[in-house]
Amino acid sequence: MLTETWALTVRELKKWIRTPATVFIALFQPIVWLALFGSAFNPTNLIPVSIGPTNLTPEVLAQIRQSILSQTFGNAPNYITYLTGGILSLLLLFTSAFSGGSLVLDRRFGYLNKLLVSPIPRASIFLSRVFATVVKGMIPSLIVFFVALSIPDGLKLDPSFSLLDGLLLFLTLFLLSLGFSSLFTAIAIRMTKWESLVAVVNLLNLPLLFSSSALLPVTSMPDWLQAIAKINPISKAADVTRTLIVQGSVDLSSMMFDMTYLIAFAAILTIAGGIASVIALRTE
Amino acid sequence: MSKVIEVENLSKIYKGNIKAVDDISFDVNAGELFGFLGPNGAGKTTTIKLLTTLASITSGKATVLGYDVTKHPNMVRKSIGIVPQDLTIDNELKGIENVMLAAKLYRVPNQIAKKRVKNLLELVGLNDAASRLVSTYSGGMRKRLELIVGLVHEPKVLFMDEPTLGLDVNTRKIIWDYIRKLNIDKRVTIFMTTHYLEEADALCDVAAIIDRGKIRAQGSPQELKEIIGGELLTIELTKDRDLQDFFSSINGVKEVKKSGSTYGIKLGQAEDAIPVIIEGIYGRGIKIKALSCSKPSLDQVFLEVTGKEFREEEFAAAALRRQDIIARRG
Repeated sequence: MLTETWALTVRELKKWIRTPATVFIALFQPIVWLALFGSAFNPTNLIPVSIGPTNLTPEVLAQIRQSILSQTFGNAPNYITYLTGGILSLLLLFTSAFSGGSLVLDRRFGYLNKLLVSPIPRASIFLSRVFATVVKGMIPSLIVFFVALSIPDGLKLDPSFSLLDGLLLFLTLFLLSLGFSSLFTAIAIRMTKWESLVAVVNLLNLPLLFSSSALLPVTSMPDWLQAIAKINPISKAADVTRTLIVQGSVDLSSMMFDMTYLIAFAAILTIAGGIASVIALRTE
Repeated sequence: MSKVIEVENLSKIYKGNIKAVDDISFDVNAGELFGFLGPNGAGKTTTIKLLTTLASITSGKATVLGYDVTKHPNMVRKSIGIVPQDLTIDNELKGIENVMLAAKLYRVPNQIAKKRVKNLLELVGLNDAASRLVSTYSGGMRKRLELIVGLVHEPKVLFMDEPTLGLDVNTRKIIWDYIRKLNIDKRVTIFMTTHYLEEADALCDVAAIIDRGKIRAQGSPQELKEIIGGELLTIELTKDRDLQDFFSSINGVKEVKKSGSTYGIKLGQAEDAIPVIIEGIYGRGIKIKALSCSKPSLDQVFLEVTGKEFREEEFAAAALRRQDIIARRG
């Protein structure tokens, strides 16, 4: 199965690299998000610097403001630092959402039938899309991470942040991407129209995003939404990456639950998606 | 001769009680070029789908190289090649990448694959274009590439669904040459579908005429033409002379009708008979005013073996049925 999966994954990636526009957009888009969300949409600006006539001195006011900020956004020194983990999770969600796209096109153009008359394991058709999508998401996320680091007043890593923390950070994103790519590939496995895929992606993407802690802390949400946000894998990935960025891996145990959750999320969806695909691709 | 494909009472009924293939039986011998001839929607593509494990059989039995398509689909898949109706070459890959990918999927060892791919590209004259993206190919080039993509694992049987659909006359003839080469040089048994009578005529050893899921006639193109009655030669003479007996005596003439100075002659083998007829007329000092020869068309074949006209509505209804099936199957 590995030979076939690898051959088909390479096909996907060759096609990706040969369309420089999509590669460029994949890189450019999250950087724009960072710039937009991080600057224009910066919620820290909503907390006033002065509150009109008052007995409080500017020093006290600044202290209050800082304490509100740190209570809301943890110990992040600025919003971009708070946001980066969320944006990276978002980037992987959005790239994963279209992992089934090439499958829909292959079905439409008859390429899928050609794969189905060949003696390849059916799971390799599913797995190749999933793996290719993970690569298509991870490479931009790495670049975005370094861009966020290099912009002025951008991402500020905790001084204790080590190579191991970096590996843990990208492992987290990998698990998120693997799970969502499997989910969205399985959804697209029987689809005949690109439009249906776009509709499903639009239906799921924004609710998944806004019911997570990717952009704003869970504590700012009403109770019912908090309940959803707490089980949303995007929240888990955003929380783990954020914790790693802001405080390093000083407190591994607090991350253990979230990491286990993400490992289960990725494993279950990959296996379930694989089985569903094999069933869906059976001779009718 | 050993049988490569054996089909017994095969039927396929799609959801909604659409009988796409209705109780057909036929055999294809090793080395044969077997053609399935019929209008759109007749059940040709469905038959290919059944034989290539893409669709499940409702009733009956089909074996390819001795393997039952239902019980041992993977053995069938390993031993067949397919050239689908649609162009399914990946446009965003290079020509050679398409063929090498197929080699990998069929687990052809890399060194052997490289040699074979080189030979196959030569066979269809695509050597120079091999390292270009397929999106720069013409329709004919794509079809040629499609032909060899199905051959890297050296299958014993090749299934081709309407191999020249939508190609211009010249390209069609070129593709015919390649198909003959594959059949003869590579000793590949070929099962193909077509709705062009002249294509079946030019290529096939045996052809079956299929309509509404049923096989209506089967035989060599020559035999099929004789069912129809062959070509119709119409000769108008400058004078009204009685040549009925002379025409009837010529080898290959099946029927002679006279109307004034015009004769309608039904021919079995036009190529041999026409020169004899013309020489005979001139030998008697008679001049020809007008002469025309109409070849049997699909309309005539169809009319003859199905007893109904191959009209536009027929086309439309068939096309609709087919679209329905495609939509259903996705």
